Amino acid sequence: MTAATPVLDVRHLSVDVIRGGDIRPVLTDVSFTLGERQILGVVGESGSGKSVLARAVMGSVIAPLRHRSGSVFYRGSDLLTLPPQGIHEVRGRKIGYIAADPGNSFDPTLPVGQQLVEKLRAVQPRCSHSAAVDQVLSLLESVHIPSARMRFHEFPFQYSGGMLQRAMIVDALLAEPDVVIADNITQSLDVTIAAQVVRLLRELRDRFRSAILYIANSLPVACEIADEIAVLSGGRLVEQEPSDILIRQPRAEYTKRLVQSIPRIWEVREPPRDLASDARPILTVRGVHKTYFVNDRSRLFHRQAVRAVQGVQFEIFPKENFGLVGESGCGKSTLSRLLSWIETPDRGTILFEGADIKSMSGRQRLAMRRRFQLLLQDPFAAIPPHVPIGRTIEEPLRIHYTLGRSVRQNLVLDVMREVGLSVADYERLPVGLSAGQRQRVNIARALILQPKLLILDETLSSLDQAEQGRLLELFDQLQHQYGLTYVFISHDLSLVRKVCTRVAVMYLGKIVELGANPTIFFQPNHPYTRAMLSAVPTLEAKPFNSAECLLEGEPPSPINLPIGCGFAPRCPVAVRRCSERTPELQSVAGGTAAACLVAQHGGSIGDAVYAATRHR
Amino acid sequence: MSTTSPTDATSASLATAKERSAARRMWAVASSYTQFRIGLTIFVILAIVTIVWPLLSSASATKLMIADRAMPPIFLGGRWDHILGTDQLGRDLLLRSLIGLQNSIAIALAAVILMFVIGSVIGMIAGFFGGWLDIILMRLTDAQLSIPLIILAITILTVSRPTPAGVILVLALSGWPTYSRVTRSITLSERRKEYVRGAQILGASSFRIMLLMAQLILPPIAFVAVLDVARMMIYEAILGFIGIGVQPPIPSFGNVMADGRKYLINAWWIATMPGVLLFTSLLSINLMGASLERARNRLYKGTI
Repeated sequence: MTAATPVLDVRHLSVDVIRGGDIRPVLTDVSFTLGERQILGVVGESGSGKSVLARAVMGSVIAPLRHRSGSVFYRGSDLLTLPPQGIHEVRGRKIGYIAADPGNSFDPTLPVGQQLVEKLRAVQPRCSHSAAVDQVLSLLESVHIPSARMRFHEFPFQYSGGMLQRAMIVDALLAEPDVVIADNITQSLDVTIAAQVVRLLRELRDRFRSAILYIANSLPVACEIADEIAVLSGGRLVEQEPSDILIRQPRAEYTKRLVQSIPRIWEVREPPRDLASDARPILTVRGVHKTYFVNDRSRLFHRQAVRAVQGVQFEIFPKENFGLVGESGCGKSTLSRLLSWIETPDRGTILFEGADIKSMSGRQRLAMRRRFQLLLQDPFAAIPPHVPIGRTIEEPLRIHYTLGRSVRQNLVLDVMREVGLSVADYERLPVGLSAGQRQRVNIARALILQPKLLILDETLSSLDQAEQGRLLELFDQLQHQYGLTYVFISHDLSLVRKVCTRVAVMYLGKIVELGANPTIFFQPNHPYTRAMLSAVPTLEAKPFNSAECLLEGEPPSPINLPIGCGFAPRCPVAVRRCSERTPELQSVAGGTAAACLVAQHGGSIGDAVYAATRHR
Repeated sequence: MSTTSPTDATSASLATAKERSAARRMWAVASSYTQFRIGLTIFVILAIVTIVWPLLSSASATKLMIADRAMPPIFLGGRWDHILGTDQLGRDLLLRSLIGLQNSIAIALAAVILMFVIGSVIGMIAGFFGGWLDIILMRLTDAQLSIPLIILAITILTVSRPTPAGVILVLALSGWPTYSRVTRSITLSERRKEYVRGAQILGASSFRIMLLMAQLILPPIAFVAVLDVARMMIYEAILGFIGIGVQPPIPSFGNVMADGRKYLINAWWIATMPGVLLFTSLLSINLMGASLERARNRLYKGTI
């Protein structure tokens, strides 16, 4: 759709940043055009100048940024030389901006609807109040905000992240702009919600006839939406191609590396080695429930029950890699806390090596902790900031054994070498360490007790690909050496695909599907698993189409759970029975265990989806 | 100001090639600050003079020499055997001030240590365990806070005899609630942090976790406590001034100043000289405290 006259024409743009006496180039000689109704994805890692580019396109190059050369033409007028008055006409009116962090972009003290009406009347002063309200309502409906009339009066904190992002999109669309800049808008959202937002943007492009400049730090996300991709690296535009060509034949060296580093999920490959013997399970979880009580905001002295984990059941065998996947709020982290017994389940039992943790004495439980460790999610918060890292790693030894000082120190130095920490860091505070180094400290601290079972709660998700790979290698080597068992709790499906032998999928506090790695990824039987897989941004062709597998809607709040299957309101194949009965986890024909009534009745979900979409 | 670079390996043992310990790095940086050195110098001189001069001096702090009364300090034309002059009863002021300084510092330090320990232990327990324990301890704190210092002092020190131990007790009782409140609020926010949970997973007992948290929570409070030594010395002086502090003839800052008040017009130095000593000693303590605090901040910022 590159029309003859582009809406936006960036020519040889260079921008510097001035810090102190230092002048550093941020953008160097960037040129591209954005045609009518085109979606251009701009991809680059953090620090590559994406956000500065977004600002420049809005005509806002202010201190500490300095415009060096080049121009940004919007319909023939250069935004960078326009007088303030002229920019005012364009910015927010002709060029809309969707911010990355919707949580901070709204005023928390005013209802969302009111803020949107205010914005609309600012750009269209002649619009009456009631007309503005009507227009905002219709826009809220067009971004699929359910019961928009009610939501109009709610405050930002009552919105979920995905919903707020939609409201942010409405904010950008109010002035009916020609160009919309979306700055990394799906980064903080869960995959299924992000997929819905991407779908929405495409829909809106067709309805409102705007061109979209879509800025992202992940290539697959940009490929999902954009017609054409521009790759930024170190402030230079290294390549610009239509998305499919860019993926198949990247020309620039940087792009090649980028494309290569993105993991493939559906590549057929050797499954991870299964070292598990058919011995007794090391960890058995039976019917575990956990409910939290929170104060009800709307009624005094009333409490609401948040059902975080409901009847989870599975077994983990020695030396296997067990994966637990699910989106945020599905109860993964609560489950990890229950497993490591820093919180106790309301109902159900957890057996470690055949012994019930609940009935253990304090001494036995302490002994159990030696053999069973949990690595916490955030490497920045999980280690005390004020203690030298050698001392941190030594702490478990002090807790569990009485050893001489030099013995302890030698053990610490050994384990530090083993996980790849420099011995010279022994007396350092964690403050200067990178995320990967900190995670190594965390791992060293867990390993020094030589545990048998290690639960990794999103341990690797904050690290970059290379560092992730190195740590996975380390885990693999340790597994061979010490016969460790790993439980990977993660939302990163490509990681789980790569390392786990068995995978459990969680949704709303329940395990909805449990099966071997290839089966889960190639023949999932639960519609939620399919929806999630269809929503993962990847560069490869997906076996599942998100248009078929994913309906609108978000996970219901765990406070007001619907009766019946929790996924039914979003499920494309739900039948009436689904909202009447709660399905249990049962083996189904496809080779996995799934908690789905349709799958359990012998129906193939693939066929059902096909039938359902045909019907629609 | 000099900084120690991480690659400065001269002091690190070659066997392990480690850096010096964090505490040592902090001390090294703190002691490289000029203000720390000034503070330390003043403090050491004062300490030596305070300890040595009463032993060397031929004068007595308590013996009356009416003939020599209200003699000015030497810079106002006094005599060398009474460097800071004498008071209204002819006692040597330097000697009285120094012994007063000893008494005051001892009382103030003891009181601050006591209130710091009581306050932070109660605050940490309340903040860490929460629930009923928290409610009970904090209401106790509120009750204590509602009694004004002077009323408390008059009640306790007039019912029993005003001994130094009594004064310490009164000062500590009036001071600990502030510490327990501050400690509790920091503990509350710290205990929800992930590293606390990490320690729980490792199997650490509550006591051990509290010790770990204490290392982070207490140093900034201890810095405030150093400033409080000064405040307590002033309170001690106030108690002495209204006559329920350390009792005559033992000199303390309070009663020396209280005596001197009556002669402010003719012999202003009687009341002023102890004040000058008080000021100097507090200045030295604060200079050192501030440098330590700065060094600690740099340590946590990772620049040393």
